[in-house]
Amino acid sequence: MSSQSTEPPIAILSKVHKRRGATLALNGLDLAIRPGQCVALLGPNGAGKSTSVALLTGRLRPDAGEAFLFGGDPRTLASRSRMGVMLQSAGLPGALSVREQIDLFRGYYRKPRPLDEIVRLAGLEGLEKRRCGALSGGQQRRVQFALAIAGRPDFLVMDEPTTGMDIDARRALWSAVRSEIARGCAVLLTTHHLDEAEALADRIVVIDHGQVIADGTPEAIKSRVSGVAIRCRTRLSDPELASLARVTGVSRDGGKVTLLTTSAPATLRELLARDETVDDLTVSGASLEDAVDRLVQAGQAAALQRQTKVA
Amino acid sequence: MHTLAVYLREARAQVLATWRTPQFMVPSVILPLLFYGVMGLGLSKGREEIAHMMLANYVIFAAIAPAMFGFGAGVAAEREAKLVELKQIAPLPAGGYLTGRLAAALALIAAAIALLGGLAYIGGVRMEPGQWAATLGLGLGSTIPFALIGLNLGLRMGSQGATALANLVFLGFSLFGGLWIPLQAMPAWFGKIAVFMPSYHLGQLSQMFSGMQPFAHVERHVSILAAMTLAALIGAVMAWRRQDA
Repeated sequence: MSSQSTEPPIAILSKVHKRRGATLALNGLDLAIRPGQCVALLGPNGAGKSTSVALLTGRLRPDAGEAFLFGGDPRTLASRSRMGVMLQSAGLPGALSVREQIDLFRGYYRKPRPLDEIVRLAGLEGLEKRRCGALSGGQQRRVQFALAIAGRPDFLVMDEPTTGMDIDARRALWSAVRSEIARGCAVLLTTHHLDEAEALADRIVVIDHGQVIADGTPEAIKSRVSGVAIRCRTRLSDPELASLARVTGVSRDGGKVTLLTTSAPATLRELLARDETVDDLTVSGASLEDAVDRLVQAGQAAALQRQTKVA
Repeated sequence: MHTLAVYLREARAQVLATWRTPQFMVPSVILPLLFYGVMGLGLSKGREEIAHMMLANYVIFAAIAPAMFGFGAGVAAEREAKLVELKQIAPLPAGGYLTGRLAAALALIAAAIALLGGLAYIGGVRMEPGQWAATLGLGLGSTIPFALIGLNLGLRMGSQGATALANLVFLGFSLFGGLWIPLQAMPAWFGKIAVFMPSYHLGQLSQMFSGMQPFAHVERHVSILAAMTLAALIGAVMAWRRQDA
């Protein structure tokens, strides 16, 4: 978000197509990440997030289009030595201690970070001698983070990094990621926690059906969803809610409904008139989660329309 | 230099991790020693030629478990935990992971074979120095075919399936290869199965190297072993390539 974003991109996916089994996971996806940027890749399950990560880390090769890392092939040793990766739900060898495991990964790099610095950044002080197998899930995630930053990477890829962490550990990890960004490291983050994306990312890329459907700052994404979110419990059905005045989106989470509206007073008057049982009512600015939900819904509706036209 | 250092550190970490895992150590080192102590020395008390023949079988037997479990069950478990994937993304040179595993298997097998040799010597087994070297060296060398066969399980199967099958193959190789009980003491159909076991051919060569059998059909044993090893190598390379499509 600054002069940095004019630098040439370090990670590029260009018109990438990738088929996985019967489904087209990526359908002409374009993505470029610049130094010092933190990009959150968001989208529903199966949107193509994991496939994008696998292409940029060299685990998969595109069927068509190209993937570049530091101007070269992501699979080369030179590209890999400037990247740190935190895979989703990865394990550790139980018999090695935290220090031994980190030291092993440090050894892969020509100019590794000092061990003490890694341990401090990952919040592992006091656990160095513990066997990895004896760590809690959250502590294991922190070791995974330590391995990812062991080589002082220029590109950090994190797939659902804070799964299994308590709130303090999450905050500590966020602040460590921020300091990586501050020294110019680019970050690619996939997460289901929109608060995490909001806390870290300066750029949100929403993908669905293997294509980018929105790309911008969190503020820009939120402003794509006009206005206000009304949350409540109601017995009205989704079609009834969608027909209320000024409503632009309807979503459900458990028993609660979120209505996006361009005018809260207009919508509320009708809602309260149609359903006198409305309960747990709150009105607030639309969150990033609302915005992403709305964008994905709109994208799916448009795709459906295109399909019906073709048929 | 850097690459060599990476390989060495990877190997050291694998040896350390293996050393600290009792479920590898017990079948790998304790079992051959225990079996040889009881069956090779205990039951053959005073008959050195039986202890001698059993040693030639047991140096091959000692290579099976570390190779099958390290490369079968071990690789499958680390693959399932995405640890192999993480190492393929990390700037670990290609082959570093498998070299590390091979070093760990060799270290374990070398320890087991050295202990077996010592036990045999105490039990009165006597050979020419060259025969000792050839017999114990063949045991160590048999790590390669067993490791490659194990790797096919580890790269193609889930953790639980690979562990189960590694156990079965371990038992099959030991029993049908004539390593536990000499084939002469078994029903004739055992011999028909034996020729399909790499352990049988290695056992036969080991008997010759240690001077218990005259050299015969060496080329046939060696070429069958070479074919089996090559097939396992091709299978392993294909499976390794397929996992990063």
